[in-house]
Amino acid sequence: MAAIDDAMPVAAGAAPSRPRLLALLWPFAALLALALLLPLTGNEYWALIATRACIYWVLVSGLNLIVGFAGQLAIGYVSLLTVGAYTASVLAAGNLLEPLHPALALAAAALLGAVFGVVVGLPALRLRTFYFAMTTLGFATIVTQVALAWQDVTGGGIGITGPSLPAPFDTAWGFYYLCLALAALCTWITGNIARSRFGRALVTLRDAEVAAEASGIAKPWLLVLVFLLAGALAGFAGGLFATLQTYITPDAFTFDLSLLFFIAVLIGGRGSILGPLLGTLLLTLLPEVAAPLAAWSTFLYAALLLVIVLAIPGGIASLIDPRNRRKLPENRAVIPRPELLPALLGQQPRHAGLTLRDIVLAFGGVRAIDGLDLDLRPGEVHGLIGPNGSGKTTTLNVISGYYRPETGGMTCDGSPLPAGDAVGRAARGIARTFQTPRVVGEASVLENVMVGATIEGRAGFLEALLSLPRQRREERMLEDRARQALQAVGLGALADIRADRLQHSELRFMEIARALMLRPAFLMLDEPAAGLSTDEIKRLDQLIRGVSRQGIGVLLVEHHADLIFEICDRITVLNLGKVLAAGTPEEIRSHKEVVSAYLGG
Amino acid sequence: MPISAVEPAMRTGAGPGAAPVLEVTGLAAGYGKIAVLHEVSLRIMPGEVVALLGPNGAGKTTLLRAVSGLLPLSGGEVRFAGQDMRGAGPREAARAGLVHVIEGHRVFTQISVADNLLLAGYDLPRAERAQRIEEALEYFPEIAAKRQDRGGALSGGQQQMLVVAQGLVRRPRLMMLDEPSAGLSPVLVDRVLGVVAALREKGTSVLLVEQLIEKALAVSDRVYAMVQGRIALEAAADEPDLPLRLERSYFGGESPLHLHG
Amino acid sequence: MLASILASGLAVGAIYALIGITYNTMFATSRVMSFTAGQLGMLGGVLGSLFALRLGLPILLALPLTLAACALVGVVTEYVAVRPVLKSLDQHLYVLSTLALALMIQQVTALTWSTEPQPFPRLLGIGEGIWDEKYWLPVLACAATIIGLEYLYRRTLVGRAFLAVAEDNFAARALGLPERNLRIASYALAGAIGALAGFAGGQLLLAFFANGPLLNFYGFVPVALGGLGNNRGAVIGGLLLGLFQQAANFLVGGIFSSVAVFALFIIVLLAVPQGMFGAPAARRV
Repeated sequence: MAAIDDAMPVAAGAAPSRPRLLALLWPFAALLALALLLPLTGNEYWALIATRACIYWVLVSGLNLIVGFAGQLAIGYVSLLTVGAYTASVLAAGNLLEPLHPALALAAAALLGAVFGVVVGLPALRLRTFYFAMTTLGFATIVTQVALAWQDVTGGGIGITGPSLPAPFDTAWGFYYLCLALAALCTWITGNIARSRFGRALVTLRDAEVAAEASGIAKPWLLVLVFLLAGALAGFAGGLFATLQTYITPDAFTFDLSLLFFIAVLIGGRGSILGPLLGTLLLTLLPEVAAPLAAWSTFLYAALLLVIVLAIPGGIASLIDPRNRRKLPENRAVIPRPELLPALLGQQPRHAGLTLRDIVLAFGGVRAIDGLDLDLRPGEVHGLIGPNGSGKTTTLNVISGYYRPETGGMTCDGSPLPAGDAVGRAARGIARTFQTPRVVGEASVLENVMVGATIEGRAGFLEALLSLPRQRREERMLEDRARQALQAVGLGALADIRADRLQHSELRFMEIARALMLRPAFLMLDEPAAGLSTDEIKRLDQLIRGVSRQGIGVLLVEHHADLIFEICDRITVLNLGKVLAAGTPEEIRSHKEVVSAYLGG
Repeated sequence: MPISAVEPAMRTGAGPGAAPVLEVTGLAAGYGKIAVLHEVSLRIMPGEVVALLGPNGAGKTTLLRAVSGLLPLSGGEVRFAGQDMRGAGPREAARAGLVHVIEGHRVFTQISVADNLLLAGYDLPRAERAQRIEEALEYFPEIAAKRQDRGGALSGGQQQMLVVAQGLVRRPRLMMLDEPSAGLSPVLVDRVLGVVAALREKGTSVLLVEQLIEKALAVSDRVYAMVQGRIALEAAADEPDLPLRLERSYFGGESPLHLHG
Repeated sequence: MLASILASGLAVGAIYALIGITYNTMFATSRVMSFTAGQLGMLGGVLGSLFALRLGLPILLALPLTLAACALVGVVTEYVAVRPVLKSLDQHLYVLSTLALALMIQQVTALTWSTEPQPFPRLLGIGEGIWDEKYWLPVLACAATIIGLEYLYRRTLVGRAFLAVAEDNFAARALGLPERNLRIASYALAGAIGALAGFAGGQLLLAFFANGPLLNFYGFVPVALGGLGNNRGAVIGGLLLGLFQQAANFLVGGIFSSVAVFALFIIVLLAVPQGMFGAPAARRV
């Protein structure tokens, strides 16, 4: 049960070296080889177990995208297996309509699974994870109740026969090969998604939602696509499950099964394909080899879940992840190379700039911003300073659309910039970093940076699913640019390291690289020097100057007065949400009120 | 109190009156991976009012949190009244008489003013609470009149008085005030800082974090300035060239800002 | 028919409301929605049946024993599944840790008690028809809980300390409140409330190990609809849910009443994500 060829397209700019590709793929190849050789045992009981493992993996591979990548805790996914199993059985048996061909019945199961996958997932689009966990749990209890009570169609507690497939899939081994092929296909397509901009967008939504929005990633449609895919796979798996069982009753779909799927993903580890695959195999085989413990199996699964959560949150994947072992260069320093910026960014075309007029924003009666005007011009570094609570970061959040001002207007390059709409800012060429770096610790530095240009992808979800040529081309382009960006900010050597192994100051530069991926017209930096050493601040200084030389307008919120006065072309001083002064650094330095406000005199 | 308070002779603690109430040595702390404080050392003598100044993000609030046990230390030592406070939480600190009034007048809005004060005396014997509350309210007649109102019904200035009063319920030996003037009108600022002066009269030490430098200096004996997580300056509050020295330490030596030019 | 809809609707509604309060009580001091809420209700029924029927203890002994045992389960929840993940940056871990513990409780019950629903004894033997005690006991328990909580929150210092921790954990800690002990106490209290729900509703729900997930969901619906942490919302939401469910049960039959509840839940959540009675919005940036 594995994928061949580019199940893990290591979309490298310089094509991935052969050993690296092999290192990624050999576990899948080995599993597939084992699976292909299984019939040599001649033991049909093993065929049953292995077929079941394949069917489970069809479901879990989709669930993995939801739980492992999107971070949505779908704990009741057995409900979609139930829906698929009953749909396929009822349609094939003709209880509701004319009997359908089993293949069509299976397709219908996938379709209905997709529909219910989205319905159950709806709360996840707007609400916290716990709600989604609950709706899947609620749906799971309800589906079983309906299956029991709707006797004319489902046979109630007595059950219904599953669809039977025509030759050559009507034998144990024939059906096994079919399921194995489907499992391999699922590995390949979910692997493709995982390694595409869609997969990176999902994990960014999971771990750094705000950064995902700033990169132009819209959560709802992305999640709906994934719910559709995972629901279809689960429904289809349900149809296969009914075929394997030959006869199904509501008892077959216990919550324990749901738990098995869920834990398989978590044991495997988030953000991995191989880990959950191993987890599925492990949990399917365990009850077979430990039969005396069968009564306690759910208890053991639950205990296992608790241990994983408390002790190894990364699961199997974190134990086998090579990026965890690779040694970090010692005594490393971030040395940006501003000379690489022209190649990365090009020269920005003429731009009318970003203007804010009379912005007012109040939180619970307190005016955080009170009639603010601001002009950000291309190619200039604009400093925004002021005491705590004077509205600097709030201003940034208004520009980037996280806050919706009560009054006032914004324009970008002459046309209005709508209030709110954080997701739309990337398309308008506005990129930003955050006071506390928002990064995906489990992803590599390279992947984190590639997220910055997500909106440039043209290949659709289906193209990514099948890894079609345009998708591969775009991936290569993105990776090339990300490596360039990393070299420009001085992190080139760390591209393949997991981001959570970086130091705080390195994460700041990584965020800048991510923002530069967009080739933005405006770059907003929220306290980029906080936590940096004096040397690092000097290098940051060089980098920011280099960026502005390419025609990018930089808005810099900073506490380090020396950095502000050193590099800014203009400075706006805020106090209590109002502009206290605006002008060149020289003008600001000699402004008495500013000095006293800044010093708090 | 002049700068002599920190002279080496005093540091050894020759007499009982000379032992510092708070002594912080080589303190390091931060949030997760972000190190905010580096090698911070300071001391406060009994009955002394010390202002802690510095630009935004210098680490003043972090320092207060580390001292009161709200934030774990990653290095260094905090001694309060001769007692090692490493590993002690805010509850132990408050019991020892080290009270931290956090920034942002965070009163409990759903319960009454009197209950807010009762909670400050949660650990105290039941009989003593009422008396302590009256004692604290004596400083603030304007909220004493509103003791049955919900905390959320008070104005910002009154809420600030309430959190200071909460601290007073503990009868602190050292009170750390984090930006008590933030968001208050000048009159109210004087009211709140007036309490600092009153506390000094009674021999209570105060560590005051303030943005309003002149007002802070007016009630203080001594000043520390923090820049980028380090103590950049220590001086007596009445040194004549203090504003200039502060300015220099904030803005860095190379680019002095001309205050009057 | 209307009378029986009202009687059974209010009865199950009161049980859901109590489970909702159980969620809220744990949530208030820890910001954790614990999957053990429903299991506490289940244990209330199972332990009640164990003490009162199997061991034949008098009600006055069986009830406090049940409440105490579940309070202990609440404390164990805090130690095992809540405290270790509170400091974690990944706030969703609590969903997994409490789910794991809930399943362990359920599984142990199934293996040591029974996998079949067991009878729950009549407690007082008062009333019949729609005035049967099985209908009004849950309502009485719910009313008693509300009055008890009101007394706790308004008249006692501990209660106000709970409110303080719930409103602003950091300020409460800075003030020197024993936040950790208060959290443990609130989990014990939640355990007792959940147990009371299961005990008072034992004659309706029976002593059945699989009641947990059901109560988890139906107890969560009023919390979600009423707003997290809002007890008044949970009670109103719970009673409405009970009435709606029983009315649907009578009108369109058992299959579709649960479908109707689920559909209502999703629709209301999408329309009013913060619940109908509101909950504070989190600051994101």
